[in-house]
Order: sequence, then C-alpha cells, then structure tokens
Amino acid sequence: MATSSSGDKGTRNLVIVMVAFIVTVGVIFSIISNRADSNFDIPAAVSASDGYGIVLNPEATPKIDVYVDYQCPACRQFELINGGYLNEVIAQKKAKVVFHPMTFIGPESILAANAAACSADENKFVDMNLALFQNQPAGENTGKWSNASLIAIGNSVGITANSFKQCINDGKYVKWTRNITVESGKANVNSTPTVLVNGKPLDRNTEYGDPSKFREALAAAGVN
Amino acid sequence: MRNKFTIAQPWLTLLARLILGGVLIAAGALKVGNLQKSAMAVRAYELLPVWMANLFGYVLPWIEIGIGLLLVLGALVKINGLLGALIMLAFIIAIAQAWARGLSIDCGCFGDGGAVDPEDTKYLSTIIRDIGLLGLGVFLYFYPKGRFALDK
Repeated sequence: MATSSSGDKGTRNLVIVMVAFIVTVGVIFSIISNRADSNFDIPAAVSASDGYGIVLNPEATPKIDVYVDYQCPACRQFELINGGYLNEVIAQKKAKVVFHPMTFIGPESILAANAAACSADENKFVDMNLALFQNQPAGENTGKWSNASLIAIGNSVGITANSFKQCINDGKYVKWTRNITVESGKANVNSTPTVLVNGKPLDRNTEYGDPSKFREALAAAGVN
Repeated sequence: MRNKFTIAQPWLTLLARLILGGVLIAAGALKVGNLQKSAMAVRAYELLPVWMANLFGYVLPWIEIGIGLLLVLGALVKINGLLGALIMLAFIIAIAQAWARGLSIDCGCFGDGGAVDPEDTKYLSTIIRDIGLLGLGVFLYFYPKGRFALDK
C-alpha cells in the first residue's frame, strides 16, 4: 500500500514537471522564433526607420503607410478600389509610400510577402503588389500559393530575371517578415488593411471603401 | 441532501476538470499555431502597453495549455482551478472594458481575434460563457478531490 501510494505521487510529480517543461520550452521557443533581427536579409528598398517597410519615393512627402496581408480579402478589396489611384500617386512621386506586408494569416502570407520583397529588388513592387491581390486565392493557406505559383505571378507582370526566381526559391526575405511583424506590432496595427497618412489612420468606416473619400483624405495631406 | 452531494461531488469535480481543462487546452492549441495573430488579438483590447500585449500574446496560449493539461490529468487541481478562474476573470474584465469602450473586436479566445465589424461582436455570449468557466474554476478550488485524478 505504502509503495503504491508513493509510486502514484512519483507519477504525479513527473507529470507536473513535464507540463511545466512543455510550457517553458514553448514560451522560450515562441519568443525566440518571433524575434526581429536587424541582421536579417532585407530588400534594398526597405528602411529600418520606416518599420522595415518597402519604401517608394523616399524623398517625397507626405508619408503614406499601407499595412496589408496578401491573403486578407479586405486588403484585396482596398487594392481594387484605391490601388489604381495610389499607384498613380507613387508613379508621379506625389507621396512617400511605405508598404508593410504583414503575415498573420499564415504560411502563404509569408511566401507572398517574400515574393513581394523579391519583386522590389527588381523595381517591380507596385506591379507585383497588384498582381498578388488580383491572384489572391479564395480561402486562407489553401496550397495555391507556392514558390512556383508566385514566380509565375511575377512572370505575368514581366519579372523574368533569374535573380527574382532565386530570391523566391531561397526564401531570401522570409525572416525579414518577422521584422515587419514586430514593427507593425509596435505601431499597434491590429487589422488589415490599415493606411496611415502622416501617421494618422484613415477613417475605417468611409475612407477605405469609397475612392472619392480616399482621394480627399490624401488631398487633405497635400497630395494633389 | 448532504449525503447525495458527498457521493456526487467527486464526479462533479471530474466533470468540471474535463470541461475547464478541455476548453483551456483547445483555446491554447488553436493559438500556438499562429502567435502573431494571438499577439494582435491581445493588442486589439487596447488594455496593455504594446510590448506587454505582444509578450502576453506569445505566452498566454502556453499557459492555457499547461493549466488545461494539469486539470484534465488531475494534478495540482486546487491551484490550477484557482488559476483557471483567475484567467477567466481577467478575460471577463478585458471583454467587458472593450464592450464598454465601444471597441469592435473578436475576443480572440480560440485563435482569430483583432478588429471586426461592429455587428459581428459577441461580447455578451462570451462573457456568459466565461462566467460559467469561472464558476467551474471556483468549484475546483473548493472541491479539488475527484475521480481519476493524479492528486490523491
């Protein structure tokens, strides 16, 4: 009786130690594997002081920050409604535009963000950004976005360089997405799309879905 | 009456352990696969400083799994019942303040989370569920001895 009781106690204590171990290892692993690092490979157009985002027209003002996840349907909607005008603003250098491709929807968001960063190195970011949203799969992490399909999307907008292909296949900027995650967290971005004009968020009820309101909001900051 | 409760109590304790523990394990397991989203869900409550919210988002799912496992297995039931109840109390306060301040967020209880459309919020049903789970935790604190437990 005494031995069986002490045996039970041993099992119980072992279980407690094991669970504590799982929790500790899980916490440490989670924190380490999500840490940002300034030594990660970053695309040439990325600026650490702009939240590690991809910067277009670094010298222009005002500053427009665009936080998206390439798998987020509302972001696709935003791109289809306002992307044309925003890309015009970029082409005419009327504003500094910083894109922050977030990856909270999962693995295929990371692949897409990596592909977008690779396209920035080929000076084709704006076209790739649009093409990614146009080719957004229905549903999250369905397996439709792979390195091969993302290379094909790049080809469709004229990115044919071998360096682009290699960049995607190497997952060159996969780790950089962690820096984006940490910095967008610091900026307290809790949903996508989020657009900041000179640091001030647009009105979620009106200015995202209405192209004339979007233009007005940009005009109010001096984009005309 | 007294006698009936004495007979039923170990089974009620077992049931409470399995429900509270099971919910905590499910809640944690659904979050550990996407900790970015978990951190975002905590940030969306706009309750903690951002760095603390992010840390909490990474740590909380593992804590939930730990407490849940110990409850299901029946080890340190008294303490873990209390911890489970305290976590639920924290959730209730967080959700209630979000509701009162007019934030439009998903509770992020089982993954997901973050901002949602105002008509998609489910504050009341979430709070009622968490009050029920809080009750189970309190019960376990006062009646930790039950069937099929590692605690003797």
